[in-house]
Formats: sequence, C-alpha cells, structure tokens
Amino acid sequence: MRRIFFSSAILYTLALGACSKSSNSGGSTESFTSTESDVITAFVNTTGLPQYDSLVVTGKALNAAITTLNTTNTDANLAVAQAAWRSMRTVWERCEGFLIGPVEAYDYDPNSDTWPTDYHQMDSLLASTNTLTVTDVQNLPQTLRGYHPIEYLIFGVGGTRTASQLDTKKMQYLVSLSADLLNNDVEPLLNSWISAPVNYSQSILTSGKGSAVYTTRQAFFLDIVGDNGMAGICNEVGEQDQDGKMYNPYITKDSSLTESPYSGNSLIDFKNNIIGLQQVYMGLNGGKGLKDLVVAKNTSLDNQIQTAITSAVNSFDNISGSNNERYEEAIFDKRTQILQTITQLNALQSLLENDLTTFIKTYVQD
Amino acid sequence: MKKICIILSLGVAVYGFSRCNKSEAFPAAGYDDRLSGGSFTVLDASTHAFTQAISGLTDRQQVVHNIGDGTFDQVFVAAPAPHFGGLGPIMNNIACVNCHRNDGGGFPTTGSSNSGMLMRISIPGMDPYGGPLAAPGFGVQIQDQALLGTVPEASTSISYTDLPVTYPDGTTVTLRNPSYSLTNPYIALPAGYLLSPRLAPRLVGEGLLENIPESTILSFVDAGDQNGDGITGKANYVYDSYTKKTELGRFGLKANTPTLLMQVATAYQQDMGVTSYAQPVESCFGQSQMNQVGPADTDPELADSLLNYVTFYVQTLAVPARRNVNDSTNVRGLALFNQINCSGCHRQTMYTGVNPAINLSSQRIHPYTDLLLHDMGSNLADGRPDYLATGSEWRTTALWGLGLLQTTNGGTGYYLHDGRARTVEEAILWHDGEAAKAKQGFMQLSQTDRAALLQFLGSL
Repeated sequence: MRRIFFSSAILYTLALGACSKSSNSGGSTESFTSTESDVITAFVNTTGLPQYDSLVVTGKALNAAITTLNTTNTDANLAVAQAAWRSMRTVWERCEGFLIGPVEAYDYDPNSDTWPTDYHQMDSLLASTNTLTVTDVQNLPQTLRGYHPIEYLIFGVGGTRTASQLDTKKMQYLVSLSADLLNNDVEPLLNSWISAPVNYSQSILTSGKGSAVYTTRQAFFLDIVGDNGMAGICNEVGEQDQDGKMYNPYITKDSSLTESPYSGNSLIDFKNNIIGLQQVYMGLNGGKGLKDLVVAKNTSLDNQIQTAITSAVNSFDNISGSNNERYEEAIFDKRTQILQTITQLNALQSLLENDLTTFIKTYVQD
Repeated sequence: MKKICIILSLGVAVYGFSRCNKSEAFPAAGYDDRLSGGSFTVLDASTHAFTQAISGLTDRQQVVHNIGDGTFDQVFVAAPAPHFGGLGPIMNNIACVNCHRNDGGGFPTTGSSNSGMLMRISIPGMDPYGGPLAAPGFGVQIQDQALLGTVPEASTSISYTDLPVTYPDGTTVTLRNPSYSLTNPYIALPAGYLLSPRLAPRLVGEGLLENIPESTILSFVDAGDQNGDGITGKANYVYDSYTKKTELGRFGLKANTPTLLMQVATAYQQDMGVTSYAQPVESCFGQSQMNQVGPADTDPELADSLLNYVTFYVQTLAVPARRNVNDSTNVRGLALFNQINCSGCHRQTMYTGVNPAINLSSQRIHPYTDLLLHDMGSNLADGRPDYLATGSEWRTTALWGLGLLQTTNGGTGYYLHDGRARTVEEAILWHDGEAAKAKQGFMQLSQTDRAALLQFLGSL
C-alpha cells in the first residue's frame, strides 16, 4: 500500500510538473512579479509620459505656427500650420492607445477631440460680434473647441483653405483655439500625470502597493488592455456599427461622417490609433511593454498578438494605396480593403479582450 | 388508531401543500450574493463597470444596444446639419454621456459641456395633471446653455458653507451646505419661483427597476407608519404625456417619470433641446426669445428608432457584481445596515417581473431601494412639489453600484440629489426626516462599526 502511495505521489508530482509547463518556461514567480513591476514602470516612464510630453511639444509648435500665421498671413505659413496640426494629431491619436485616467476623467479628450464639429454654429460664431478670447473659447461647447474647429479653419471644407480666406475674425478664433488646446487641455493633461493633486503616474507606479486607483497590479493591466486602453481604441476604430470610426462612413458612404474630414487625415488618424496600442504592447523608447509579460509565460499568444497588431497596422496602407488616397474617397472605391482592415481590427480586439485579458487574470496575481 | 392515522396523513398532506405554496422555492443561501442584478449582473469593477450590456442579448439586440450606446455618447449640433442636428436652441448639455459620465453620475456644476447638474423650476400650484406648474417664460427647467443667437434662460450660482457634524464619540465631519441662486435671467423671473437642483444619476439596473411589479412597490408603502419604525413611504403617481395616462412614478429623483422611454425622451427634450415622437415640442416653445421655434417646428429631431435604441440601451445596462461579499467586515456591515434600519427604505431584495423584450425572466435582485418617496427632512428639502412628492420628499436611491462610483467617475464621487455629499458618510449624515432614526443609529455606532457599514456600502 505504501508503495502504491509513493508511486501515486511520483505520478502526481510529474503530472503537476507537466501542467506547469506552458509553451515556454515562464521563469519563477518572483521574476515574473519583477517583470510586472518593470512593465508598469516602463509604461509610465517610456511610453505614457514621453507621449504626453510630445503632445505638449507639438501643441506648442502648432500654437507658434498659428501665431506666426496670424502675424504674417501667407499660404506658406498656412502650410506650416497645417503640417503642425498633422504632427500634433499623430501624437494625440497614438495617445489614444491608453485613454486611462485624467484624459477621460477630467474631460481632456472630449474637450479637445469632439466631432463632428458644429460648423453651423461655427459659421454663426464667425459672423457674430461675439468676442473670441481664449476665455470665450474655453466656455464654448465641446463641438466648438479643440482639434477639429482648428482643422476646419486651417484646411476648410475639402481642404481648400487659402491664407487670404482667413479674415480677422477667423484668425482671432484660430489663435484662441490653439491657445485653448495648449493651455487648457494638453498642458494640464501632462501636469495631471506628473504633479499634485492628481499625479497619475504615481497612481500607476504604486499599483498594488497602495495606489487608490489600482489596488492591484492586475487592475492596472486590465485597465490598459480593456475598454480604456488597447481593446477600447481597437473597438472605436473597428466597431461594425454606427459608433465605428471606419464602419459608419463606409456603410453609409458618407464622407462627412469621417473623423477629420477637412484635412483628409482620417485614415492616418485610424492608423495612429492602432500604432498607439502597438506602442503600449511593444513598449516605446527601448522600454518594456506588455509583450514582456506575455512572452514570459506564453510565446504563442505573444506571437499571435504581435502578428495581429502588425497586420492591422499594415492593412491601412492597402486602403491608402500607392497614391495615398484619403479615407473620404476610399469609402467609395476601396471598400474591400476597408472591410479587410475592419475584420483584422475585430480579430485583434477579440484577441485582446479574450486571450490577453484571460492571460492577465491567470498570471498577474497579487 | 385508524382515526389517528387519518389525522396524521391529513396533517402531512396539509404541511406538504403549504410548503408548495411558498413563493421562495429556494433558500436565500442558495443564491450568489454577488449577483446584485440577478442574471443582469456583470463581473466588472473597472472604470467601465456601469457601461456593460447584460449577457444573453441576441445578435439583433446587441446591435440595437450598441447603436443606443453610440447615440448616448453622440454630441448633437445645431440644425441644419447632416447628422445629429436639432440641438437647442436652449439646453443644458450636448450629449447624454456628458452628464452621465461612464453611465455613472455627473459632476455638480452647471452651464458647461462638463456639467452634470441642472435646475428644475416651477411656481406654486399644479398643472392640470397634478405636476409642477411651469414658471412663465422658463417652463419646468432652467436651460443654462444656448445656441448662438439666443441666450441661456439663466445661469446658476452655487456656493457652499461648512456644516460640521460631531459624532457622540467626538469625531467631526464637515459637510458642505449648498446654496443656489439664478443669475442673468433672460427675462425677469416670476415671483415666488421654486428651484430644485438635480444631479445626473448613475444608470445601472434601470431596466430591472422598470420591471419590478407595481404590486411589489406598493407593498412597501406603510401609510400611517403601522409598524412604528418612523418610515412610511409613498408612491408617486405622475402623468405620462405620451400615453396620456397617470401612472406609477419610478424614475427621477422624485419618482416623477413612469417609464424609461419617457425618461430618455424628456432628457433629450429638456436637457438637449432635441425633440422626439414621445416629447415632440421644444422645451422653449412659446418663449419670447424663441420665436424661431414656431408651431411648425414639431418634427421630431431624434429619429424614432434612435429614441427606442437609446431606451433599449439604458434598459439593458448590467449591474456590477458585489465584491468581497464574504469578507467578515462586509458581513458585519450588512448586519449593521439592517440593524439600524437603513433597509427600511433601501430594501435589499426583491423579484422582477418578466419582460421578453429585454430577455428578462423573473430575477432575484438586490437594488437597495423601495422606489418610494420619503420625507428626508428640511435640510435636504428643495421646497418644490413634484406630483405627489412634497418639497421634502425624495425617492429612495438604489444603492447598487454605489461602491464603484468613484472608480467610474475618475476618482471623485458625488452623492445625493445635488452632489453636495462628497463621500457616502457625508450622504448618510445628511439623512433626516423618515431616515432620522437610521442616521442616529449610524452616529451611535463605534468608529469600527461605522467603518464596517461604510465598507459594506463600498462593496455594492
């Protein structure tokens, strides 16, 4: 009997040992916990903060370009302002890969990036005698503030704006809009991550170590992967209903429903959104990313996610094609390619919401 | 002996049949206490805990829910516009989600896109249906934003003064006592006008509350306080301008709205100036500066389907599950909650009816409300009657999801009808009137027990 028990114990030990093997070794619990902390620290220091820092830098550049345009109203200066707007949009859309914390809680996102613009009211505003100081603009509805009214002014409908069309009133509105965006949105957003009273970086860095926001490290990782993070932006771009940034204009064949219709920047916006989630997963500026967690336990899942992200990012180029076609036109003649991208985004979202989320719940235990 | 056998057999039979008549076929211990919303519960304690759809929707229903979700988040703009026009000309906000942040509560400010509070107004008296009497030129709500070319009806000035409260054990909590006044009215305000601040509430479980049988709600009424616990409870009966019937009020801070359809339609009309088939007349109709809104301007600005979809969206929002239900402190907190009779109004458990339209079978739920009106004392009174609700009566707020409000609201939570309370503890300390005994009971507890009760509330 004793021998049988001993044999059973060996078998049980072997079985447990076999069960603990996933597709790779995974290392010790201690080292995995250390990796969790490293990824959290890297997310703050090499992905989140640098991105918000870049947002301020590009916001200042846009503000400076618009100030110059106001001083010297030329088509060349208008082109500089347009380029500065596109640069800032690139950074912002990538920041949307992690819409966690103050960016939503304190309305920096809706205050700066609400669309469609209310161009009927914008025209009324420009035709009115209302003053348009920064304070005035700050008190306007969200549909009259932020990136897209600026876009409307510097690109015009169909991207046909010329410098000579920017009269005094439009210029006054434009100057105040860019100052409002810089002073009341992107700078406070960065400050909310680095200083009191919010100091969101600290809330993240202390995940599972006293953070009131993230009582566990798992809670942080679920947030960054979930509706506010990677899966959320994937859904926003690829959702197949009225909410879908891509799908709605596609299914209705209505270019006015695109996100950045005046500049024709919508497709670039979409791609940058997905690059944003890619940066969260892969890490940025040489820092660790979520991939470092996943690869430690499940290389197969890591491969799937990396492949799905890369494939989705690259698929946007099939829509724009060699002639850099805008989404506003592509909805009419690149319908197959658009649907392919949406399908890839749906698959990626599923991978994030199901497999990656399950992975975190399984392995990040604190 | 034969007689004894017959009597025993009959006794067994009677006992057996009496057991069959028990409505609770399963003991309470057989249920999972985490499932506050029964099958409408979702295991989510994240910042999006209030935004999740119930499980089990068909593909078609999921699409409808999603479109409703998108429309709920959608900003509206001034007409003419190719999409989502019809905003205003006067309004309080430009999108549902701006007040109901993450489908949770609003911020207690007024007059901007980020605000989540508004002011109801009326003058003394009743309209022909027993509702508040509209203030001439202002209607029943102050719209504090306007499209260009019009001016807001008025702005609201809010100020707070400190109001210290000391527990018997010497602990002091400082409440903030609000004061409201209207400034810059577009015309003179009528004499004797009545104001009531209303903070946007969280939306979880509204579909379940809509399907609690009327008989259940009425069974909670204790007219004349027959059981002597100081709590009576009163149903509000309100006029539904769409069905043209007087019905039981369930929604709104004074239970002044009978259905979610009317809640949604009235919010679009009053809060955003967007008309629909259920509320086809602009809120500003007939007002002096709103001449552009003529009698012909009664075409619904919100498509019928979208109103129905947003309503369905609200009906099919899940309830977040309770956390740590077996934690000993939470168990003690619940016992204290019952012991000091918070549960006299915040009733823990009830059953819903059946509603195939939202896949609802009869569910055992824990909303912690009786959906009745209670006198909450003079400190919380707004002095503005609303149908049968007096100026000091408010509907019992459902407490499910309470512990996640700060999470969904970016770290800050605001409680009570006007967000004056910044913590649940402050909210309790504002209770009075029918809730005076419960508040006193809370204040008499030791610090440890108060903390346990608050921790229990945080688990909801």
